[in-house]
Amino acid sequence: MKFIEVLDAELKGIFGDLAIVLTILGGVILYSFLYPQPYAKQSVSALATSIVDYDKSDLSRDIIFSLDATPQIEITRRDFSEMDAKDALTRGEIKAIIVIPKDFKRDVTLQKSPTIAVGADSSYFLIYGGVLEGAMKSILTQGVKVKVASLLKRQVPIVSAKVEYQSFSLKSINLFNPNNSYTQYVVPAVFVLILQQTMLIGLGIFGGGINEKLKQNRVESYLLDTPIWVIYLARFIIFGVIFFIHMLFYFGFSFHYFEISRLAEVGDLLTLGVAFIFSVFSLGIFLGTLFNTREIATPAILLSSLPLVFSAGFVWPLEALPSWIIALSMLVPSTPAIQGFLGLNQMGAEFSAIISHYTLLWIQGVIYLSLALLIGAKRREYTISHTHHHS
Amino acid sequence: MLDALIGSALYEFKDIRGSWYKLLLLTLVPLSLAIVIISIFGGGVVHKMPIVLVDNDHSKLSRLFATHLDASPTMDISYRVTSAKEGIALVQSTKAYGLIIIPNGFEKGVMLHLQPQITAMLNTQYILIGKIITSDLTSIGMKSAAEIDYVQSLAHTQNSTASLATVAPIGIQITPFFNTYKNYFYFLVSALIPAIWQILIVITMLIAIGGMTKERRLGEFFKDRRYTLAKLIGLALPYTLIYTLWGIIFLLYLYSQWSFQGSFTVLIFALFLTVIAYQSVALLLFVTGFDYARSLSLGAVYTAPAFAFLGITFPIYSMNDFALAWRDILPLSHYLQIQISQANYGADIWLESGRLMILASFLVVLIPVVIRFKSYLSKEVL
Repeated sequence: MKFIEVLDAELKGIFGDLAIVLTILGGVILYSFLYPQPYAKQSVSALATSIVDYDKSDLSRDIIFSLDATPQIEITRRDFSEMDAKDALTRGEIKAIIVIPKDFKRDVTLQKSPTIAVGADSSYFLIYGGVLEGAMKSILTQGVKVKVASLLKRQVPIVSAKVEYQSFSLKSINLFNPNNSYTQYVVPAVFVLILQQTMLIGLGIFGGGINEKLKQNRVESYLLDTPIWVIYLARFIIFGVIFFIHMLFYFGFSFHYFEISRLAEVGDLLTLGVAFIFSVFSLGIFLGTLFNTREIATPAILLSSLPLVFSAGFVWPLEALPSWIIALSMLVPSTPAIQGFLGLNQMGAEFSAIISHYTLLWIQGVIYLSLALLIGAKRREYTISHTHHHS
Repeated sequence: MLDALIGSALYEFKDIRGSWYKLLLLTLVPLSLAIVIISIFGGGVVHKMPIVLVDNDHSKLSRLFATHLDASPTMDISYRVTSAKEGIALVQSTKAYGLIIIPNGFEKGVMLHLQPQITAMLNTQYILIGKIITSDLTSIGMKSAAEIDYVQSLAHTQNSTASLATVAPIGIQITPFFNTYKNYFYFLVSALIPAIWQILIVITMLIAIGGMTKERRLGEFFKDRRYTLAKLIGLALPYTLIYTLWGIIFLLYLYSQWSFQGSFTVLIFALFLTVIAYQSVALLLFVTGFDYARSLSLGAVYTAPAFAFLGITFPIYSMNDFALAWRDILPLSHYLQIQISQANYGADIWLESGRLMILASFLVVLIPVVIRFKSYLSKEVL
């Protein structure tokens, strides 16, 4: 049989199966739209906050005014007691409470360091971070003003009073993802995983289906008489081309559309991309040789998604993971691929900085491909001899 | 009708006993997925993250600051280099999460009241890690500055209480309501395990009904073509019970460690409603084409992205309308609100009844399911 005929037969098999088409074409496009939606507004809006002001002085009003002016906080309520404010929190009307104690101004004047209490709904950790950041900044600024004023009272000249409020300053610079964008944080990594999972499911359904038909002795003849590697080569060309285009769509169009940074050199990105596609393809046909039916692939691969995301190191640091989880995650292409792609595209790393990830992808690919060739051939041999035996 | 329900439940139960695949999906799979997630976030705290120090001053004061850094719970000075460029390269290859640069002349600047600047460059691509380090860094910066301030102002006033107050004229007390801040274990695990299990619930329902279609057992199962709904409920029942039981075990595990303010009965009722809501939606996905593999693909689209929409890692009030609508069609988002409000605020039952009603309303999809099944069963030769 000619190679072109094998290619044609594989194409018919893949595109004749609606479940596969739905996954490797429909799914890939749908997910690229669906996943970024929660973060589409990019930034976190202001938090509804209640103020409990027991002091009611000009100083407390100043503080409230500056709190309200911070982007993270919007004062929507004023309560007379903490109880009232807590009730509002339970009803979900507000997400944070700030309490200014009684005699606040007096204590500041007496230099007794009174304390402002800041509380936020910690059930949602981003909310908590937002209030904290906003409140800290604004209260610290007020604190500095008070301090400068008190230094001035002691007749320290204004210039040195201003400087003296802190002996040195600390400036934080955001390296990469300068706006703390959630889209930029989550989407690039999740997209790598989507590419992997959809390709694995597609290959898994296809491989499982072939095994099913082998067993029932109703498999297309080319699958019985063509060398295994020729079949896999044809399949690699089909899936490789489809997913290469998907990858260009994701890293090109989608990233542009969702305003995600693309710092990588195109050549570097494609080099890593080819290794990634090869590695995922190899794992996919390997899994395909193991599955007995068409329907096992989707459940098996789907259930692995969330554990894979959270062991890839971008949400939760690798340093905090137990070593057996790291070891398991290294068996899957998405782990080195996510780290490699984030390095190149989001952090502008040189290719040499991600070379270990790149190498691991090739190693995985070669191992899985060898296993697939071995098991695929054995499985076919076994079935052929088995069915012959019966007939 | 009850006979039909019990009969089909027993039928499926027998099938489960004979199927390794279904047995695994009901026992080892949910257990091991939970163990993996729990192990990932095991510590719950981010501890000793590697950072790079660029000390261009080499003074007593710069060493003091470095000691403070190294003593912090979240940071570990794993690399010391001489240029920012080397430091950034280490961050780019994720060997470190940030670099701290102490400028040349730092100590001298402090002594001369020139307020020199320490620069921290943090990898904010990893938002969570970046946030943790930033907040720790801010407090270390304040502490070190205050320490130096204190010594200097002591020389001026010779009154230690008052000078301490001038150093920090206003204190901030941070109250995490519900006492869970800084421990990400609770945040993430309490939502992630339900998010994985909802995938499992939908999948097994599709396997139960899809497998039957594929093996051409539908005709046998719906023998007399009567009581379609009762038989479908019976088919789902073994899974409903076992997954609800898993849910209860999970909640007992979770709230044996974390405080729980509300009613466990309300929460378990919500859990049960969530399981049957998902099973109903799974049946709806199945009747779109009565095709096993294809319905699994639809189930994947429906359940896989759920976690992002829950509002746990990203707040609900910052989502756009589409995300909010998608969130609404996921039973899990309603369930999780109940879980959070029961655990944290102990919300009243009347406050919760609205959310419970929403969960129950998912059962409406059983109407088209039954209609589609009836017409399918009457037309097809099974």
